[in-house]
Amino acid sequence: MFYSKVLETTLIFSIFVLSVYPLSGLTGLFSLGQGAFIAIGAYTAAIGTLQYKLPPAISIMLAICIGIIGGVIVGVPTLKLRRDYFLLITFGFSEMVRALLLWMAQLTGGAMGIAGIPYAAGLPLIAISAIVIFFFIANINKSAFRRNCIAIRDDELATQAIGINVYWHKIKVFILSASISAYGGALYAFNMMFIEPNLFDWLESAKLIIIIFVGGMNSLLGVFLMSVIYYTFGEVFRFASVWRDLILGVLVIVVLIFRPQGLFGTIKTVFPTIRFPFLQKN
Amino acid sequence: MELLKLESVSKSFGGVQAVHEVSLIQNKDEITAIIGPNGAGKTTVFNLISGIYQQDAGKIFFRGMDISELAPHRRCALGISRTFQNIRLFNNMTVLENVKVSYANHLTYNFFDEVFRTGKVKKEERELEERAFEYLKLLYLDVYASSYPGNLPYGIQRRLELARALLPEPNLLLLDEPAAGLNPSEIRELMEMILNLQHTKKLSIIIVEHHMELVMNICSRIHVLDFGKKIAEGTPKEVIENEKVLQAYLGDLGEVC
Repeated sequence: MFYSKVLETTLIFSIFVLSVYPLSGLTGLFSLGQGAFIAIGAYTAAIGTLQYKLPPAISIMLAICIGIIGGVIVGVPTLKLRRDYFLLITFGFSEMVRALLLWMAQLTGGAMGIAGIPYAAGLPLIAISAIVIFFFIANINKSAFRRNCIAIRDDELATQAIGINVYWHKIKVFILSASISAYGGALYAFNMMFIEPNLFDWLESAKLIIIIFVGGMNSLLGVFLMSVIYYTFGEVFRFASVWRDLILGVLVIVVLIFRPQGLFGTIKTVFPTIRFPFLQKN
Repeated sequence: MELLKLESVSKSFGGVQAVHEVSLIQNKDEITAIIGPNGAGKTTVFNLISGIYQQDAGKIFFRGMDISELAPHRRCALGISRTFQNIRLFNNMTVLENVKVSYANHLTYNFFDEVFRTGKVKKEERELEERAFEYLKLLYLDVYASSYPGNLPYGIQRRLELARALLPEPNLLLLDEPAAGLNPSEIRELMEMILNLQHTKKLSIIIVEHHMELVMNICSRIHVLDFGKKIAEGTPKEVIENEKVLQAYLGDLGEVC
């Protein structure tokens, strides 16, 4: 029972990590507002089921739609800005959503949160979701989508010059990310049966980015493995309380010093051994 | 036939007039050069043509169409490709991916095809891979296909940038100092390659370059800029004999004597 609960939590958080992967891992955009999209998804699902008596499946779809709308509202005006401003604005957005959740108490329960959400997301649904999302992202990771993302991360100017609409591609990535986050949030609500505004603050968003960095930015499998390891470890060693975060902190520092490409990063340093035929002629 | 036309284009940065009322015409199937002393505004002209900067005044026409207001990616889609003076490759991608990425405009699959990895994606990606290899072979880069550009010698990085610019099949190619940092034998190879490309791909090429041997040997016409103004235009021979050009490069000879 305990282990199945650990697995459920781990997989839900892995969905969050997967949602951030195209945005922070591939495109190099750091959003501290991802927690807000998770909260939007969770609250939409909870309110839809409890107050409007919608079936959980419909609530989940509604959560994704609201997540996408949120992504458009935040993404369209901010993604033309420089990355550092984007980070600050998403941070502001995260705090704004939290304040709204506290303030709209008759709808959201304020600081008390929402309790008594029906249990609709068990291990099978969560596991299938995580696997399907993993494969979807693995698929887009094999085509132009990935190439455009990495190009934008490496050099925006050159990316424009080779004919890619940088702004539009960033919007696509951000909306994809927001919708998966919202979906994960809805699963979270239906699994934990209780949500409150402080569960998804900017620190949670930052943690998702850190996991991507430690796992290896370019490697989807590496990121997924890292998130599974981190959250399983986190749940199993819950008794260690503060020491958990201390160990994570040390791990982050060690990894960034000795393996800057991430624990499971894919960057290889291959020096070609074959001579260049063009120079040999001379 | 006229391919590109600049009509008294100007651009200033703060108080510095980087480009002042420059007009030029580029025909189909010709190689021309823009030369001038350092800071003459050559690269700025390239940035204006490729849309990285927006001009303050004047108009730019490409294939008879006014492109003055278009974003860089739209201009690339119309057929303007460029390389950069300071190499700008994508260091987190392999050489092969660096080339593939520039074909984005020609791919017809959409996001949902990508998510479900439909047959369309597989087919187009396979074709793209073949195409990319073709271009890598053309520029003798195929042996490096799976290495990362950051680890490669300078000359090879330059050629990779060229391959990336060529893959989308441009009509107009802008080369910003392609010979910078190359040794004499590499420069000779580069000249052959440019002529060869121009011939086989029916390209129109504009080169910004300081290396005079290259410019004099392969360009049919030369535009000379000095302090953002165009001071001369003509065949290499005419330009060499032009007094204003000599003055721009060597200073006022009267003062020296």
